[in-house]
Amino acid sequence: MVRNFELTSNLLKDVLVIKTEGYINNAGGEKILQEFENHFENGVTKVLIDIENSRVVNSIGISFLIEIIEKLNSKGGKLFFQNLDPSIEKTFTIMGLFQFAEKISTVDEIK
Amino acid sequence: MDAELITEKLSFQVKSFQESFEILSSSSSIIEMAKHFNRILRGSFFSTDISIFYKKNENSEWERLIVKAIESKKYFDEIKDEHYSKIYSIEDSTGLYTNIQLVDSSYLGVVLGKRIDGSSYSEIDKITFQIYLQMFDSAYQAFLSHKNEKNLIFSLNSRVSQLYSLIETGIEISKINLGDKLLKLGLSRAISLTNSSFGRVKISYKDGNVEELFYPSKIVSQDFIEANILSHKFIDYGNEYEFSLCEKESREGVIDFDETDDLLLSAIVRQVHAAIENERFHKEALENETMRRELAVASAIQKRILPEKLPNILGYDIAGINIPSKEVSGDYYNVFQLEDGRFALVVADVTGKGMPASLLVSTLDASLRSYLDFQIPLSIMALKMNSLIFKSSTADKFITFFIAILNPSNGELDIINAGHNPSLFLRNNGSIEKINAGGVAFGMFDMGLPFESQKLTIEKGERLFIFTDGIPEAMDKDENEYTDERMEKYFNDVKPVNSAQFISSIVADVKLHTKGETQSDDITAIYLIRKE
Repeated sequence: MVRNFELTSNLLKDVLVIKTEGYINNAGGEKILQEFENHFENGVTKVLIDIENSRVVNSIGISFLIEIIEKLNSKGGKLFFQNLDPSIEKTFTIMGLFQFAEKISTVDEIK
Repeated sequence: MDAELITEKLSFQVKSFQESFEILSSSSSIIEMAKHFNRILRGSFFSTDISIFYKKNENSEWERLIVKAIESKKYFDEIKDEHYSKIYSIEDSTGLYTNIQLVDSSYLGVVLGKRIDGSSYSEIDKITFQIYLQMFDSAYQAFLSHKNEKNLIFSLNSRVSQLYSLIETGIEISKINLGDKLLKLGLSRAISLTNSSFGRVKISYKDGNVEELFYPSKIVSQDFIEANILSHKFIDYGNEYEFSLCEKESREGVIDFDETDDLLLSAIVRQVHAAIENERFHKEALENETMRRELAVASAIQKRILPEKLPNILGYDIAGINIPSKEVSGDYYNVFQLEDGRFALVVADVTGKGMPASLLVSTLDASLRSYLDFQIPLSIMALKMNSLIFKSSTADKFITFFIAILNPSNGELDIINAGHNPSLFLRNNGSIEKINAGGVAFGMFDMGLPFESQKLTIEKGERLFIFTDGIPEAMDKDENEYTDERMEKYFNDVKPVNSAQFISSIVADVKLHTKGETQSDDITAIYLIRKE
């Protein structure tokens, strides 16, 4: 079921910026992964996910994000997060996402 | 090929086995494994067309992981169970193919196409191919273990995250004044914690109305399929709140909710229930505090207005009482000495309680004092006061009012009873007169309805009893009233020497009837005896 989840993406230089809106669950996570893979195949290795408009995430949604991290790691790339809701940030911390992904304030922080 | 070259080649391949194993076993998926295996085989055999297939079990369809030549599938499609792991040659060994069963009973099919130089695969190549396939199987086993390990860590982290979220949710939910946000917050957290796709809070109000809240918001009632629902509900203040979660997610699709989900939803629903109760209690406490302050002010107003002591009337004995009930009500009494030597005996009762009643009593007292100073006829005074009270009060407020102007020298009483309980007048011959004359209560209508006064004369030894309904309507625990009849009999039978004795003894008789039951209304009375 794909409801209440939308995403937009654009390439800023070599960074893929994905902006999500809505519940990051199975459907939402799958959409993010799909969008990532479209660009990953073309050599994109820096991805920024802006989740300002996503206040709820479940562990299935997180598993897709981990998959993205693993794929980026295999190519020496990195995942970044922007505009994290405090409760989501805590969840990501517990799930260990920040061992391989970085929290940033603006896209300019990505070198 | 000389022995030295073969040894070097084998040595190179052994080294590459170790590297290949590490690369394959650290793959993140079977597709990635296949891609790596494709490169390994190509590097070892210089094959141009390599195809790799995979099927989850015997009955499932082959998935094409790497396909260079579409027709390659036909080579192992027909391989029977007993021929698994056997290496088959294609066209004079210009190609090889096989189909092996992996450790988890899944299958891997590999076709090695023509080599770059077009040469045939040798027997050593076939053996090497076998070794690579066995190495793939071992790497696949390691890949599965690694995957299981990752799943285990993920699952443990998920549990920790769930517990943390549950605690955080509890803290968040317990914040006062969340209002409507409370239900949505509880619902969204329950959805997230249980990996549900969506959910609903259905509120069935005690008045019959039903309201539904959804998360995500685009969900509608029709999306709820009974088979995939997990629900918990509670009733608060007569309203029922039902939390329902739908479609538990997994990467493989929708699965059934488990016991943990039930516990998590139950915990959140209990937290929401407690928060709703707390919010209500908090609101009630604030209201009670406001009411308590209001009553304190109302009580202070009432105390200021009511007389501390009644004036002495030469030749008469007079006493009065006001026992306020727990809630401040609007009973009023007073005795004023007028400039011409007469006395005004007044008893009134304002409908309602608390501050509004108290303010109206205050208005009554002020206007009464003003009009009495002018010494205008009672009927006109009553008209003016009625109009004033009508304008000063809301539609549901009115005042029953009794006034008797006593000329102490001759015992003449000029009386108006505006909707008040008939006062009792005990004649020397033993008869009781009920004084009704007057008109409607003040504040009910402002249509100029006349008030008619009544004149009586009180003789020596005769008694007048003016009271409010707090006496005849005093109730015991079974809601039996003291009654007008009992009061009249008491008035008739008990004739103490002074007025204060009568007042205290009738109050005692009322208390005897109510047997300590909380007083529901003010008790107010004036008792007058002509002594000379």
